[in-house]
Amino acid sequence: MAVKSISKRRSAVQSVVLPLIFGAALITAWQTGLLHILLNTDEYVLPYPTRIITIISENTDKIMVNVWASVQVAVLGLLLGSLLGYLIAIFAATFPKFGSGGLTIVSAFNAIPIVALAPVIINWTKDVSSEAEVRSTFAKIIVVTVVSMASMSVNAYRGLTELPVFSDDLMKTYAAGRLTEFTKLRLPNSVPYIFTALRVSVPGSVISALVSEYFAEYVIGVGRQIRENILIAQYSTAWAYIVTACIVGIVMYAILMVIEALVMKKRK
Amino acid sequence: MRFSKKTMAAMLAAAMIVSAVSACGSSSGSTGTTAAAATSAAATTAAATAGSSDSGAAMSDSDRIIAAAQAGKVGNWGLGNEYEIFALLTKYGQENKFLSQAFDMDGFDDDSITLASAMTYNELGLVKNSYEGGYGYGDTVDIIDMNNEGVAMLEDNLFTTKAFAEANPNTVKAFVSASMKGWKYACENPEEAAQIVFEAGSSVSSDHQAYMASEVKKLCETDTNGNKVTDYGKMDENAMQQTLDLAKQYIKLDDSTAAEKLKSLTLDDIRSTAYWTDASVGKFDAPEKKDVSIQLKWLPQAQFMGYFVAKAKGYYDEVGLNVTIVSGGGDIGETTAVNNGTVDFGVTWVSNLISANAGGMDLLEIAQVYQRSGLVLVYKK
Repeated sequence: MAVKSISKRRSAVQSVVLPLIFGAALITAWQTGLLHILLNTDEYVLPYPTRIITIISENTDKIMVNVWASVQVAVLGLLLGSLLGYLIAIFAATFPKFGSGGLTIVSAFNAIPIVALAPVIINWTKDVSSEAEVRSTFAKIIVVTVVSMASMSVNAYRGLTELPVFSDDLMKTYAAGRLTEFTKLRLPNSVPYIFTALRVSVPGSVISALVSEYFAEYVIGVGRQIRENILIAQYSTAWAYIVTACIVGIVMYAILMVIEALVMKKRK
Repeated sequence: MRFSKKTMAAMLAAAMIVSAVSACGSSSGSTGTTAAAATSAAATTAAATAGSSDSGAAMSDSDRIIAAAQAGKVGNWGLGNEYEIFALLTKYGQENKFLSQAFDMDGFDDDSITLASAMTYNELGLVKNSYEGGYGYGDTVDIIDMNNEGVAMLEDNLFTTKAFAEANPNTVKAFVSASMKGWKYACENPEEAAQIVFEAGSSVSSDHQAYMASEVKKLCETDTNGNKVTDYGKMDENAMQQTLDLAKQYIKLDDSTAAEKLKSLTLDDIRSTAYWTDASVGKFDAPEKKDVSIQLKWLPQAQFMGYFVAKAKGYYDEVGLNVTIVSGGGDIGETTAVNNGTVDFGVTWVSNLISANAGGMDLLEIAQVYQRSGLVLVYKK
């Protein structure tokens, strides 16, 4: 018992306290200018945390408008992309002959840089609406969709096909139909793989939403604000949006972790 | 919240049929009607005004600006290039909004932008001319000129940091002197200048380079009121003041410290005429720093022909300087590059220098190459 509680305490120290100390040390180094010396930069390009926080607190309303625009794109694109990705995986698992080949093509989408994809899709979707705001949001969602589709399809395919040994044979001995086999065996087996895919595509969706904003016709979003402010040499404001982008990414990831913990607990 | 639930639903539905959407490329807005209908009033007004703009010929510039603004079809690149457009929209009582325009003119070509931003020497040439990369609209397009509208802000200048200028006054004067000699020669011989730029590693075709040189010449030799200017690089007090005043009004900074600083800026905080005055009469000694570099605002093109000519003709050698020309493009921030000492001199727009100084940089304009605004709004007649 004693040994166990010590090791438990040690793991708590390792996973919570140490990162906190590291974070606090980093912010202290940043605020005191030590970081600027280490990175050979000035407080102009890398403003102090206090300045960044001041700007965030003074512009909360404007920042939230941009956050909402970005989150909306990231979440809708993520859901749509994951859904499509999963459907592709089912298709591939059902028809393994063309399935694996098709998956290779889909996973190739993963290799397309967002900076190349975004302008193409934005031009391509110009006829969607006469309202720039609508067609820009649509185009950005499509970019995120394409990016998150790839990781879901590849991972879900593995979840649907890499079954526990003999489980497939067992289903056959019970004379289970394809549908039963799918709902009772393949679908549950793929759940952990879905979360593996989401762990990659949640941060990916935030990044692709921010980058696609660079090219969108309608000027809005956290990513767009970062670019605008850097180009007019407003680094403090740009950093305020960079910090905001980090918070958005971390919060979305944390939400995923909570959902995963809940779902996996239920399964046990 | 800018999106109604209906709009979202319409968009999701549209997403499902994305492949179908991509196929119908002809009539603009046909597939969008479902989504646009959901956003009701705004869309209706937009459609109505967009429709009325078709009646064309009899429209005045003011009608045209108002119609395009109401329809949300005024284009600009943003990223610090939008202030004159804001000033113009304000002049006609319109909201300060624009559509983000790509660095090509496809948006103007496909009518998603009806009043598109264009530089006289670059995009306007591409729209009008039919050489490589051009759209060949010829005389079927017309322009609204920022100078005539009284909202001109000065663009391409020559700048360095205050610290560099104070430490190397002779280098600065020598550089200004040789560069302005280059500009003079380039404006007197635009065709040869275009060829020099083309050979130095041009980003565009030689035809477009020649067009650009002839247009840049006009910007260097004509002031905002249309009068001839003979002193290359001169800083016109009134035009500079107008630029600063408009900048204070239309540059919106979220950083309160920077916004305060912007309000307090005077011309003396952003430019010094002393170096140019001495340079123009050749009053300087051997340069303190001999190897210097200049960061351009964009890709190598006739927009910067003076510097390429000065280098090719050996004007920099004559004053004892060894100059490296660093090309820009994309997201390269010329103000940052000069401020952190990566390069010694830079070319930027006066408004960008103003916002950089408001943000805490200590930049100093030492010559004003373009005497009037090169920004126009182009429309189909």
